[in-house]
Amino acid sequence: MKKMDISTILASAIHESKNQVGTLLYQLQSVKEIAQSSTDKQKVQKLEEGLKQLNDEWVEYLYLYKLASDGYELHYDYCSLDEFLDDQVFALTQSANAKSLKLSYNTSPDLVAIFDERLLTAVVSTGVYNALRFAKNKIEISAQTHNDYLEIAIEDDGNGFDNHEPEEESMMFDANTGLGLYFTELSAKAHIKSDRSGYIEKGSSSTLGGARLSIFLPQ
Amino acid sequence: MNPEDFSKKKALLIEDMAEARIMQKKMLTDFGFRSIDIAMKAETAIELLKSNNYDIILSDYNLGKGKDGQQLLEEVRYSHLIPNTATYLMVTAETSIEMVMGAIEYQPDGYITKPFSQATLQRRLTKLIDVKNKLKKVNIALDAQDYSTAILEANKVSSEAPYLESKCGRIIGDCLLTLEKNEEALSVFDRHLKERKMPWALFGKAKANYNLGRLDKAESSFRQLMLDNKFFVNSYDWLAKTLVKKGSLDEAQTVLVDAVMRSPKNILRQIELGKLSMSVEDSMTAEMSFRRAVYLAKHSCFNEADIYLEHLRSIVAIAESGEFTPRQRDNFNATLKKIHQQFFEDPDVKAHTYHSEIALYNANGDEKTAKQLLEMWTNEAENGVAREPDAEFKKKFSNLF
Repeated sequence: MKKMDISTILASAIHESKNQVGTLLYQLQSVKEIAQSSTDKQKVQKLEEGLKQLNDEWVEYLYLYKLASDGYELHYDYCSLDEFLDDQVFALTQSANAKSLKLSYNTSPDLVAIFDERLLTAVVSTGVYNALRFAKNKIEISAQTHNDYLEIAIEDDGNGFDNHEPEEESMMFDANTGLGLYFTELSAKAHIKSDRSGYIEKGSSSTLGGARLSIFLPQ
Repeated sequence: MNPEDFSKKKALLIEDMAEARIMQKKMLTDFGFRSIDIAMKAETAIELLKSNNYDIILSDYNLGKGKDGQQLLEEVRYSHLIPNTATYLMVTAETSIEMVMGAIEYQPDGYITKPFSQATLQRRLTKLIDVKNKLKKVNIALDAQDYSTAILEANKVSSEAPYLESKCGRIIGDCLLTLEKNEEALSVFDRHLKERKMPWALFGKAKANYNLGRLDKAESSFRQLMLDNKFFVNSYDWLAKTLVKKGSLDEAQTVLVDAVMRSPKNILRQIELGKLSMSVEDSMTAEMSFRRAVYLAKHSCFNEADIYLEHLRSIVAIAESGEFTPRQRDNFNATLKKIHQQFFEDPDVKAHTYHSEIALYNANGDEKTAKQLLEMWTNEAENGVAREPDAEFKKKFSNLF
């Protein structure tokens, strides 16, 4: 038998699984409507939340595969950061609420920058999902520019990068593969202007006291 | 963000999967749409679009066996079946989105990736409609083909909403190209390229150079775009056009063959390849392209007799080069039948059809049938329902007279 490229096979298997998760999410919508009691509703919501995270994780792996195999074509466009971050908070608030955390964003209303919105959506959700595991009360996403770089930062009020000891969680599908940071780094690096490319920085949050993950994108 | 009033808007939902269709219709109904038409495939959608005006079109990229959502969009935008003021939202999976983004010429107004919640869809639609409202005057001018006004309005929007600068720059550049103000267009595209290598700006620049006859410059930009992103199939079309203008027909054909392999369902590209193959006397490739074009023409905006006639001519060309097979006879008859069903009222089409039929029998050495057909044609011409055989025909087939 001819030897096949296992990463391609895995990528397409992940894609299949992701589509099935999508179908399950659709089907769950109708269950949502027949759920009567508040405990039932809560259960369904937890299930939905878990499936959504699973879906987003599969998406991350698919991008990771494409980035790592040089098969990803970036689509740069101008983006209002206020709108972009508002979108991210909107999409991730349910996940934060499920863990009783507050998720917010902070940027200037007229900040506009150029980046691949689709890829950065996956990057921000990866970062926020990660922060969900460590934060005590609060997560904040912010955006600002420094010397021709756009910085998107995700901060939390947990113990910071050096003292990461997440509590055992009862949340479904909550696993750390360590791929998240690698994915974030590849995504940042893929953003290139002239001879400058993006990068990431791990640090501590001066405002919230926990970890601060910054993604720098050349402008 | 103000909640948008959807109750007065008319929506068209195009989705082949029953489950998703029911879900999406429910979502649209839940946030206020009262008028929602549904199509399960692109062909039905075209019929609906021909007789209705929609404010919002929500289409899946993947539509089963027929045309996909992107081809549908290209077709309806190209033939102005939907106005620029209408919002086209494409529903995609992660894998198909690159095909949508790769279409540099016709892009949807927005896309949403599956799976999505009702809240996400509502939010996305509200935002898109908000942008459409900001660009309303621009789009009205575009629909009226008043490109100077469109440029004026786009400049206004661009200074009021900086995040629409790229969108407006693109509209302005394309309007200038349409107005044949190529030098001005060039400077608009160059200005945007200075900021960042935006594919649409490089594409526009290449088109301007093509129009200005700077073919080497155009060629290198189109090639650059092909290198940058393998999904930019439109740049293959333009590279082929450029090569044709430079006289490198064979090379142009190779480029189009490659493009057709990447996206075989684009009818205009199939027709181009067919025509080009005829002119380099590759009747086999021509036949294949026109056969596909005939197949795609039905239920498209481009269902014209010419495509069918070209297919017949390509088969005649095969017969004349002595490589005719019974299989080609079937192909010929299939297309012939379609012409009879759809276009035979037209005296001109009738004449062209007889011409090809006679040429085919003649090339295959069946002079008797050829003569019988000629007699039928002459009779019909006398009754005024077919155009008469012209001098060129009489000269070529003097053996039949």
